[in-house]
Amino acid sequence: MTKPITTRTRRRRRARIIAPVRRRFGLRTRLTLTFALGAAVLSAVLAFITFGLTRQNLIDQRQDSSVSRAFANADRLSAELPYATSPVMVARDLNGLSHPNDANAVLSNNGRWYATDTSAFTQQAIPTSLSDMVDSGQAARMRTGINGSTQLLVGVPVSGLDAQYYESVPLADLQHTLNGLAWTLLISSALTTVAGALIGYWASRRVFAPLLDVGTAAGAIAGGRLDTRLPEGVDADLDLISKPFNEMAQALEDRIERDARFASEVSHELRSPLMTLAASIEVLENTRDDLPERARTALVLLSADIDRLQQLVEDLLEISRFDVGAITLHLEEVLVVELVYQSVSILGGGGVPVVHDFDTDELIVRVDKRRFGRVIANLLDNAHRYAGGATSATIERVGDMVQISVEDEGNGVPEDERDIVFDRFSRGSEGGNRSNDTGVGLGLALVDEHIRLHGGRVWVEDRRDGEHGARFVVELPLVDPPELDEDEVEAQ
Amino acid sequence: MGTRILTVEDDERIRTAVRLALEDEGWDVEEADTGEEALQAFTRQPSDVVLIDIMLPGIDGFDVCRSIRRVSDVPIVMVTARADTHDVVAGLEAGADDYLTKPFAPKELSARIRALLRRARTIDLAPTHLRFGDLEIIPDEGIVLRDNAEVHLTKTEFRLLVELASAPGRVFSREVLLERVWGYGYFGDGRLVDVHVRRLRMKVEVDPANPRHVMTIRGLGYKLQQ
Repeated sequence: MTKPITTRTRRRRRARIIAPVRRRFGLRTRLTLTFALGAAVLSAVLAFITFGLTRQNLIDQRQDSSVSRAFANADRLSAELPYATSPVMVARDLNGLSHPNDANAVLSNNGRWYATDTSAFTQQAIPTSLSDMVDSGQAARMRTGINGSTQLLVGVPVSGLDAQYYESVPLADLQHTLNGLAWTLLISSALTTVAGALIGYWASRRVFAPLLDVGTAAGAIAGGRLDTRLPEGVDADLDLISKPFNEMAQALEDRIERDARFASEVSHELRSPLMTLAASIEVLENTRDDLPERARTALVLLSADIDRLQQLVEDLLEISRFDVGAITLHLEEVLVVELVYQSVSILGGGGVPVVHDFDTDELIVRVDKRRFGRVIANLLDNAHRYAGGATSATIERVGDMVQISVEDEGNGVPEDERDIVFDRFSRGSEGGNRSNDTGVGLGLALVDEHIRLHGGRVWVEDRRDGEHGARFVVELPLVDPPELDEDEVEAQ
Repeated sequence: MGTRILTVEDDERIRTAVRLALEDEGWDVEEADTGEEALQAFTRQPSDVVLIDIMLPGIDGFDVCRSIRRVSDVPIVMVTARADTHDVVAGLEAGADDYLTKPFAPKELSARIRALLRRARTIDLAPTHLRFGDLEIIPDEGIVLRDNAEVHLTKTEFRLLVELASAPGRVFSREVLLERVWGYGYFGDGRLVDVHVRRLRMKVEVDPANPRHVMTIRGLGYKLQQ
């Protein structure tokens, strides 16, 4: 009894993952955030410096002009006051001084106070710290709040007289200007931050784009296109990724090719001894009647297994050709119905009814006849081995495709095995129950490879009529499919 | 004297086993393990069928095929490693009539040989004399004349021409020609027909690139034109 090969186990070594730190945000988000944060900090610092310098500058300017004007006014008063003989004249002299509209002045002359605008600025508003200094003959200035607004007070002793001149200059307009500046800076900082975020996003996309290429290339390789490579030499930095990537891909391709070539060479090498065996057994078969009973039985066993071995080698060769991409299809345009009839009757041994409608008579497919014949033969063989034989082969048109399905009366294929039955050396969960004349499990894998090479697909499903059994469906594209008739369109 | 088959194969075990199997069919088998030896043997005494393995040390199977073809129209069967390589077409163009891929069953080989011998021997369905412009076919005598000069065809080429001539103007599909000339079924290799048509044109057409007799009908097959 041969030891059954059960479903191919897909054991895999645990993958080694480098730097397994899990981050909350993706790389792109992190880059964008970093750029935004950087822009925010930088623009805030710049805004603060700008604001501080401007403020200082403006206030200094205002102070300087106020102080020099106050001195000029005090000089003028010192020249005029000696001629002022009455308080009215003093007041007139005070009012005659030049100062900006919003500045106000008070004057203490011989202990008497005069003011340009008593509602805005009187001697009560002068802090004693300031008046003490001025009284002692020193000019001074300070900032203070009068009537709820910041004012610059400048006090100057009028030289040669018992008089002190004070001027109050409002700083509100400066404050106003500075507020405007602050807002402008705030808004531009915000805009800079947004711009930073946008640049970060853009940059991350730019940086990420080659990584996406890597992903695409890796996907292509995983999908079987082993000759996929990344461009090298375009960017020195990207070469850090693309060079090792390409080396990896090359190593992978080499390895797979080596495996495939090994299989191919082994099969090739097996063919010569097989040839000898097959021919020798045929010679023995010719003398079968002269052989003793026991030898005859042995010959039957030998003969059957040589056939099997031959089939296996042929299948292995064919499948290794797929792996090295060495398949050359001889495509011919043939009538589907004829093709299926011939496949069933010649290669499948006949006996299986071919069911089809009249509308399939003219349908043409482009196939490699020999390989398609093997597809049908393998499906019939599969049904024969595992389900007591196929019950029918059906040809149906579905849009621009044609479906050729082979049904049987077996136990069907369980849902979870419908993909793996097309794997190599897979014989489903019932593999262990088979008699010793089972195939090697390459038949359906070959069907899958052949049909895919023909631009079609194959799958297995339940029988449509609800009976027990599997339904293997091969779908192929039609060549110049004729227009569907009106009533057929309705029927669909 | 029985039918003589020359087998050229460098693997001694295969050669012996094939010889035993062919002898069981009642044929005389002569063996050669190199191309040189095969050519000597054939010169010494031409055989009725030649079986050549393409992969030979020294002069390869293609050269052996060409050399034999220069002196004889004997049916040649080639043994190739694979059906879907260029080897098949190259072998057919070198003059082989049919091919087999290793490993083949000796029964299959016997069937091929029988088919080749059968058509090499009898051509019985055509009228006695056919004329297509400058081309004249006399099936009974196995003679083809172009402008009254004899054209030398191999037996397979001749059989192919006679098949086409049996219904002038009718389109023969590759499958039909494969069945009638080679005895293959639906799954026969269409390249056998294509290469033989090409070889035939080289001999019967004035300008093989613009054939006037053996016409290709795209997607359908070939026909012989009046």
